[in-house]
Amino acid sequence: MNRILQVAFFTYRELIRSNILIVLIVSILAIGSLSFLLSLLSYGDSLKIFTDLGLAGAELAGWMVLLLGLAVTYNTEMDQKAIFLQLAKPVTRGEYLMGRVLGFFAVNLLVVLGNALFLAVMVLAVGGSLPPYFAVSVIFMALEMLVLTFLGLTYQMIATTMVRVVLYTFFTVLLGRMIGEIQWLIEKQSAPFLKGVLTVVYYCLPNLQVFDLKDRIYDPTLVVGFTQWQEVLLYSFSYSAVVFLIGWISLERREFR
Amino acid sequence: MTAARPLAWTKDWRFRALALVFALQVFCSARLGPWIHPTPFSEEKLDKKVPSSLRAVGYLTGFRLLVGQLFWIRVIQYYGDSDNASNRYADLYGYCSLASDLNPNFIPIYPFGASALAFHLKRPLEAERLLQKGIEANPNETRLKLLYAAIAYQNTGQYKKVIPFLEAQVVRGDAPEMLLNILANTYQEAGRPQDAINLWKRILANTDDQATRIEAAQKLQQLYATLKKSHPAP
Repeated sequence: MNRILQVAFFTYRELIRSNILIVLIVSILAIGSLSFLLSLLSYGDSLKIFTDLGLAGAELAGWMVLLLGLAVTYNTEMDQKAIFLQLAKPVTRGEYLMGRVLGFFAVNLLVVLGNALFLAVMVLAVGGSLPPYFAVSVIFMALEMLVLTFLGLTYQMIATTMVRVVLYTFFTVLLGRMIGEIQWLIEKQSAPFLKGVLTVVYYCLPNLQVFDLKDRIYDPTLVVGFTQWQEVLLYSFSYSAVVFLIGWISLERREFR
Repeated sequence: MTAARPLAWTKDWRFRALALVFALQVFCSARLGPWIHPTPFSEEKLDKKVPSSLRAVGYLTGFRLLVGQLFWIRVIQYYGDSDNASNRYADLYGYCSLASDLNPNFIPIYPFGASALAFHLKRPLEAERLLQKGIEANPNETRLKLLYAAIAYQNTGQYKKVIPFLEAQVVRGDAPEMLLNILANTYQEAGRPQDAINLWKRILANTDDQATRIEAAQKLQQLYATLKKSHPAP
């Protein structure tokens, strides 16, 4: 456990030193001011508009940090062979991967929570109130980032170039968002073969719609109780475990020269 | 020994763990069905001029609310552009409908669109359709039900039933300015010029919009003239 934490701390410092937190500052400034401007231009509840845009911005910032982080660290770890230093120490490859995931996730959490906190403070400062599911939607966003961090780092262990890592992650995120459309196609499609293929795709892709509470934050039919929490947490950890094991096995089989 | 090598991976506990966790993941994923895509696609076909690609972007990227809010500004710009008055804002219903598909719980879309369609553009059927969508998505929103009833009464010329509904909206304090104009016009049509005059005076005193000011002044002039005719000085 100590070794995992050491790798996590090292990864966290590496990402902070690579100026990736500039994304946090830029996103807070850009998204905050853009949301404010658009809420003024629009007609309706301006605080609601500000909150909607701010939540979407927090998620976008999280994605951006993940993709940039993957690109930056692939270059140092794999291309410049920094991974040799870490694997030469008494650290197993599984511990190394888990440590990296935790380090990445810590930075990602900082960005998402930083954006959400800024948004909450701004809304409360002007006398507004946050939607009842605001905190829950931010926690769900963090869970999404956890799953995507596992996925991105697994791709980093499998792919052979930095471009591939970024592209695989980016398109998996997009496809994961389309899970509802895939389900809709499964229900509509009558050809058994296609139905089978789509079902396999459905279960292999991360179900990112589950974490997307920010688009349903005002839905009067939305209920997030104990059962829902249980289902979402169980899904997040089981999917992360699948992806982690794939990444670990790939890393064990990878030959570094 | 070489024959046994290909099967060596089966002894790796991680593969067995992977199969087990994957099965758990599939089980959990199957249980998450009701979470996914809670709002079905709208069966209604949009006008070709309405940018339905935006709907696709909203649904596929998972940023429905973000796209919805950006599109809502476009709807306001469309209604605010006097060039579109030449075809009586023909796409207004389609635009509002798309905005409501993207952001079904954003209430201002419905009163804004329905008021413009029913009272300004005299297309009450489209207004009613828009409000029906709003009420279905937000069953607890009393304002939408009131407006729906008001439009329905207006359409049948039952002013005595329309006016209390509109007054209730105005009393809330957050009614759009357009609704005040509508109420003033309804007073006039219902034969209550004094109430209409009072309301137009209030609009004239509070509005920042130059066009509304001119409209209010003209209406007051017209209403005073009508009053003078009906009650000539002795």
